[in-house]
Amino acid sequence: MNCCEFREKYSDFTDGLLTSGEHSEARGHLASCAACRRFDAALHAGLDALRALPSLGVSHSFGARLRHRLRGEFAVRVPVVARWSSAVGTLLLVATVGYIRWDLRESREMRRAQTARSAAAWNATPDPAPLPVYRASQAPVIRARFEPFHPMNSILVVEQSPPLAMGGPPRLDLPAVWGGP
Amino acid sequence: MTLAVRDGVRILGHAPSTPFAGLEDSQVVQAFLEGHERAFDELVSRYQTRLLNFIYRTVGDRERAEDLVQEVFIRIYRHLHRFDQTKKFSTWAYTIASNLAKNELRNRSRNPLVLFQTIKRHWEADHRPLQFEDSSSRPDDMFRKRHLRELVEQSVSQLPEHHRVVFVLRELEGKTYEEIAEITGCNLGTVKSRLNRARNNFAAIIAPHLD
Repeated sequence: MNCCEFREKYSDFTDGLLTSGEHSEARGHLASCAACRRFDAALHAGLDALRALPSLGVSHSFGARLRHRLRGEFAVRVPVVARWSSAVGTLLLVATVGYIRWDLRESREMRRAQTARSAAAWNATPDPAPLPVYRASQAPVIRARFEPFHPMNSILVVEQSPPLAMGGPPRLDLPAVWGGP
Repeated sequence: MTLAVRDGVRILGHAPSTPFAGLEDSQVVQAFLEGHERAFDELVSRYQTRLLNFIYRTVGDRERAEDLVQEVFIRIYRHLHRFDQTKKFSTWAYTIASNLAKNELRNRSRNPLVLFQTIKRHWEADHRPLQFEDSSSRPDDMFRKRHLRELVEQSVSQLPEHHRVVFVLRELEGKTYEEIAEITGCNLGTVKSRLNRARNNFAAIIAPHLD
C-alpha cells in the first residue's frame, strides 16, 4: 500500500471498516511511512483539541425568547383557522344565495309552464253548456199561509215555487200579520 | 401509564426534574402530540445545546447559531404532527438544523452585508483582552493550548461547507454514517468520501502547526 491508497482508505481505517487484510496492510504502511504517521498524529491531536473545546450553552434569554415565539406561532395559527372558517362561511352564504335564486327561478319557470299547460288544457276543452238564465218572474217565491187545523188552532203552511236551488234570491210572500203584503 | 409511573418516581424523590425526563425521545414526542405541552420543553432542554454547538461549528457565528436553533424548534413545533415516528427524532432535528445552517451559509455568501458583519464580529473577538483560562497552568502551556484551540476552530471553518457538515456530525456529534446520510440527504458512498476528504484537509491544516 502506498501513501495515496492509504489516504484514500484512511477514513475506513480509522472507523474500523476495512477488512482484516486491508487493515493489517494499512497498519503496516503506517508503521513504515513517517509522513502518514505524521498525518495520522495530526488528525488525532486536532480531533482531541476539537473535542476538548468548551461546549457552548444557550443564552439566559433563549428559553423566554423561544416561548414568546411559540406563543406567537400559536397566535398565528388561530387567525389561520378563523380565516378558513370565515372563507368557508362566505362560501356557504354564496352557495345558499345562489341556491335560493336558482330555486326561485326554477319555481317561476315551473309555474309559467304549469300556467301554459292549464291554458292549453282550458283552450282544448269544449265550451260548457250555457248556464240557465232566470227571469224575475221565474224567481222562487215562498208563500206562507195559515190553515185551520182545529177549532182553537191553525197551522202555518210554507210553500216554495220553483225549488230554491234553481233560482236567485227568494222572494218572501208572508201573511199580513208578519209584515206581508 | 408510563408517565404515571415516572411521576410516581419523581414524587419519591429519585430524580427527573420533569415527568418526561426519563422517557425516550419518541415517548416525549408522543406525549406532546397527546397534548402535554410541557413535553416540548423537555425536547428543547435535551437538544438546545447539541444543536447550538452543531450549528455554531457549521456557521461559525454564535448569535446567529442561537437564532437558528430557535428556528429549528419553531419548525419542530409546527411540524411535529407530521414527523414519521418510526424514525429517530434526533436525526430529524439535525436534518432541520443542517438545512438551516446550509441556507445560512448560502445566504451569507450572497449578501455582502452579512459577510461584513461576521468579519467585524470576529475582528472584535480577536481584540478582546486575553482571558486566563487556568491560573495553575504555565503561561506557555496556556498559550499553546489556546493556539491549538484557535487553530482547530479555524481549520474546521476552512473546510468546504458540505465537508464541514459531515465532519462535525461524525467527529463532534458522533453520528453514524447512516444517520449522516439521512441528515444530509446523501448516499453512504458520498458521506464516506466527504468525510475522508474532510479528515484529510483537517489533518493537512493542523499538521504544520504541531511540530
